[in-house]
Amino acid sequence: MGVLVGKFKEGYSVLFDRNWPLWVGGVLLALLGIICMAAGRPWGVAGGLRVWSDWLFYWVGLYKTAPTHAFFFSNASILTWGLLFGAFGAALLSRQFAWRNAPKLELVKGLIGGVFMGVGSVMAGGCNVGGFYTALAAGSVSGFAMMAGLLVGALIGLKYLMWEIEHVTSKPPKQKAAKQGGIDWSKVQPWLGAVFFLFLLGWAYCMSFRAYTQEAVLMITAVGIGIVIQRCRFCFVRSFRDPFMTGEAVATRAVALSVILSVFGFFAIKWFRADWQMIYIYHHWIGGLVGGVIFGIGMLLAGGCGSGSVWRAGEGQFKLILAVITFSMSNSLFKNYVWTSDVAKSWGKPIFLAAVTDYFWAIVITAVVMLVWWAVMAWNEETDSLTIV
Amino acid sequence: MAEWTPDEVLDARGLSCPMPILKTKKIMKTLKSGQILEIQGTDPGTRNDLPAFTERSGDEFLGEEQGDGYISFFLKKA
Repeated sequence: MGVLVGKFKEGYSVLFDRNWPLWVGGVLLALLGIICMAAGRPWGVAGGLRVWSDWLFYWVGLYKTAPTHAFFFSNASILTWGLLFGAFGAALLSRQFAWRNAPKLELVKGLIGGVFMGVGSVMAGGCNVGGFYTALAAGSVSGFAMMAGLLVGALIGLKYLMWEIEHVTSKPPKQKAAKQGGIDWSKVQPWLGAVFFLFLLGWAYCMSFRAYTQEAVLMITAVGIGIVIQRCRFCFVRSFRDPFMTGEAVATRAVALSVILSVFGFFAIKWFRADWQMIYIYHHWIGGLVGGVIFGIGMLLAGGCGSGSVWRAGEGQFKLILAVITFSMSNSLFKNYVWTSDVAKSWGKPIFLAAVTDYFWAIVITAVVMLVWWAVMAWNEETDSLTIV
Repeated sequence: MAEWTPDEVLDARGLSCPMPILKTKKIMKTLKSGQILEIQGTDPGTRNDLPAFTERSGDEFLGEEQGDGYISFFLKKA
């Protein structure tokens, strides 16, 4: 028995003490993303955030009609809930959940960054996930436009952060001193995490008997995404920002790899389901590009993108909780405005890459763009040519 | 008692990614070779980011110490 307990502790430590390598995250996210696509609703974050605020504004009387998607059991909403739950549970299992306050300036940056991301994600048809990562996998040409926009936005945002460090000083918030006595939370957390995950599994199982099978599958997949992302600290912001900041391209490689893997799965599914061809295809190119720039600035200010803000919120980081709230509200308000006006007409048309070329070349083009991104940032890793900090 | 005596202390408590690394990079530029920087942080990501940073910069990551509600990391300028 002693040996088994020892082995269990060893395994637990590998999974929940140390972080998983980023490339493992890239591979797993591609797999989970393909499962979401196969379940009929590709992975996105902004869509779920919007549903939350749609309901909020409906409840306070700002919107006259009720949102078409349910607050909880609708396919968009459940993906974002799942991400939040998965990250929260994984943080508990890793004893990393803690209420983390931040200096006032950081909180303000979280609020403003959230607004930028909310607006940008409406224009680009999604956040870094739905507008870039999943969009590229799904063959939306707007994904390339958003990628260019995100690179520009990340540069502008990083320039601002550097300016801020030179010119603004902020006081650290009061940290609570470690409590004497009482409960040792670091021992309790893993148990809470385990109970929470068992509850989610049981719940999803029950839902699947009540004609909510798709939502149940999506929730469990999204919980998986949340776990992977928290354990890897998988960060799309880093993939865009770090080459300019530290020169490091680990995150860039992981994201590029993940897109290349995903595109095979997505295209296989779209090939067999012609009626799903236009799933996740958005405005090209103004929507993607301008939305990408705005979103890129926002994610640098907030220190988290669509997925990054949600999983860090699940870890208890107050700044990112604020960012998620303003992201959600501004996305809902802006989308509501866009629906009632003609403004989106100038943002471009949705184009499915494989309809322009064919499936084979669409995969090749996407893979080549990812490999070029990878190669340029790997070259920069050696030379620091693009590093501006 | 601290195992390392810092020449400079960076209070990054409450800051989240990427601010601790950005500030660290800036301060490290001002240090002389052999000087030690202590970074006090609360962001769980810092534990991965700092060793990755020193691996690239050539500086030395000395180690970490548990503070009262935060973790102190120690870097030695190359």
